[in-house]
Amino acid sequence: MITIDNLNLYHQKTASNNTAKRKGATQVIFDLSLTINKGEKVAIIGPSGAGKSSLLHHLYQRLQTSAALCSQRQGLVDNLSIFHNIFMGALARHHWLFNLINLMRPFKQDLRNIGLLCQQLELDEPLAKSVDKLSGGQRQRVALARALYQQQDIFLGDEPFSALDPLMASRLLEIILARHKSVIMVVHDRALAMSAFDRVIALDKGRLVLDSKKQSINQQQISKLYQTDAVA
Amino acid sequence: MALLQNTVYPLGYWQKVTLSIWFIAVVIIPFADIEIVNFDPLLELSLMAQGLIHADFFATEYLFQAIIQTLNFAIIGVSLGLLIGAPLALIYQHPLVSGCCAFLRAIHEIFWALLFLQVFGLSPITGILAIAIPFAGTFARVFHDIINQSSDSPLESIDSRADIISRYTYGKIAQVLPQLITYTRYRFECALRSSAVLGFIGMPTLGYYLETAFKQGNYSEGAALLIIFIALIGTIRYWCPPKLLGIYLVVACITLVEIPTLDSSLLVRFISQDIIPPALVNTLSFADVQWSLLYTWFSDIITLQAIPGAISTLTLALLALAASHFVTLNAHAIASKHLWPGPLVYLGQFILLIGRSVPEYILAFIFLILLGPSMLPAILALAIHNGSVIAYLTVQQSNAIAPPLMQISTLNKFNYHIMPSIYPNMMALLFYRFEIIVRETAVFGILGIMTLGFYIDSNFSEIRYSNALILIMCTALLNVAIDHISMRLLNSHKQSLTT
Repeated sequence: MITIDNLNLYHQKTASNNTAKRKGATQVIFDLSLTINKGEKVAIIGPSGAGKSSLLHHLYQRLQTSAALCSQRQGLVDNLSIFHNIFMGALARHHWLFNLINLMRPFKQDLRNIGLLCQQLELDEPLAKSVDKLSGGQRQRVALARALYQQQDIFLGDEPFSALDPLMASRLLEIILARHKSVIMVVHDRALAMSAFDRVIALDKGRLVLDSKKQSINQQQISKLYQTDAVA
Repeated sequence: MALLQNTVYPLGYWQKVTLSIWFIAVVIIPFADIEIVNFDPLLELSLMAQGLIHADFFATEYLFQAIIQTLNFAIIGVSLGLLIGAPLALIYQHPLVSGCCAFLRAIHEIFWALLFLQVFGLSPITGILAIAIPFAGTFARVFHDIINQSSDSPLESIDSRADIISRYTYGKIAQVLPQLITYTRYRFECALRSSAVLGFIGMPTLGYYLETAFKQGNYSEGAALLIIFIALIGTIRYWCPPKLLGIYLVVACITLVEIPTLDSSLLVRFISQDIIPPALVNTLSFADVQWSLLYTWFSDIITLQAIPGAISTLTLALLALAASHFVTLNAHAIASKHLWPGPLVYLGQFILLIGRSVPEYILAFIFLILLGPSMLPAILALAIHNGSVIAYLTVQQSNAIAPPLMQISTLNKFNYHIMPSIYPNMMALLFYRFEIIVRETAVFGILGIMTLGFYIDSNFSEIRYSNALILIMCTALLNVAIDHISMRLLNSHKQSLTT
């Protein structure tokens, strides 16, 4: 599906072009090579600041036409309702005129689909409620629903469950896994990563340090990864 | 004790700004014409006060008609302005578009009306276009600024294959829609004021009857009209919720006075003869042009009318800026809940409402009757109107500030806690209003104050349209230049804050 060879990424502090090593740019990913095949469910773990989000956003740029991204910056539009925020996932499937009319008066078919989706995600709020009135966990599920409603083959998620309790997280993960051929997800919960995904890769300080496809990894190695971070 | 000798304490940024405003005002005051010409302003004032007490709401014939027409021009003008301005906001970053818009809004509604009056006569088209055109330019700019402030993160999570219209409406415009609606409502208030003021040049709106009543000394009728007008603006939010705007638009189109059929020969004549400089009329080819005549004509307008007009426009505007600063400080203080108990605050806010509801043009007209023709009435009018507007906006901000948890007296709290936190914003608003002050100042000429508008008005009444057109261009250029300079100043200040 995607192969990355010796990837180097820089995080720009100032808004200049992001081509090469400039002053003010810090390197976040170092010589990273990775191949992800179709149908794989990959979890990305690692201590904070390891470059997980940067890697995921890079993957999204490469896979854009066939992937849905559920980013940490949820990108919800506060003035719009739950329905409209989720419907934003379907914008590409309709003509702009349809989208405009739907903005003023929702169409029945989409209302039903999105209502069902919300039910599955355990989001029991009126669809017409604007998202600025929701709690953190509810907002996160609206962002997740929008990514699901894109109905793509590949799902890219950046800690989509960080504001939810572990039980709900594993229930929602099941839905995501069932609805997508391939999943690449930055996961905070190490146990969840080990149990629910068929491949786990770990980043530390911008380098790929563990890959369960090449080596068998155990809980101990992972704990060590997080410990070194805490000491440093 | 050697340390104490070096106690230099430099002036703060806003102290310097404030002092320079007042320094400039003091320097130019000897050159400004600010004497009181009227022999007995107190007599006139007492007559007006009596008129206010005995306000006569039934004196005006066609009062209902006048209110309806005032509303109609405003509603249709704003709608048309939106229709033109909103799409322009999306391509405003193009220098050609922003340049054109700056030029459109630099010409005051009254000047547009004076131009259209020559072609369409007293038809509603004149009033509607006079409002719609400058408003379109303003909508384009402000909508563009508002949309630019919205966050880009929703766009990131929208499928990039979606078409641009869907992405833009859902990802960008939906974010700022409440601000856009609030701003549109504010502009509707402005349009009502402009629409009323158009009456001063003969359009059948409230201003027309107001001017007649005051000029004839019918102060009880004039006061009634003024009260109706203030009430109309003060209650906008109750009778004009954004949802009803569409219905109002339909009603406005139905109740519009009949549009007389346009005499196309008038239009042709206006474009092909009236606005052509006298030296160019009857010249058929390029070789016939008498260049020396054209040059003397042009240089005469510039040296005898444009430059003196521009100088007095600027003088008046700078004095009005200082006076507005003074009014703002006081008006903010009388309506601040940090200084007064509840009921007095409401009274203060009511005074602010009156101050900002009456158009500066009508205020100037009343002061002109009281004090006689000089710059003074115009300065007072601009100061009261703009001071109230800025004070109204800053009071909203300062009343939201939580009082400090300290045992200090009310006045100390006001001076040490409230004023320092709102002063920068107050000054920013004052400078933003400066553009508006210059724009209004030019128009005061129509009331007889020797600004650019005075020369424009006299050229129109002497049927020298070509001269008037040149002067309108000069006014527009002056406004664009000031707009440009103030933007640069504001930006440089913002940059000096960030670095």
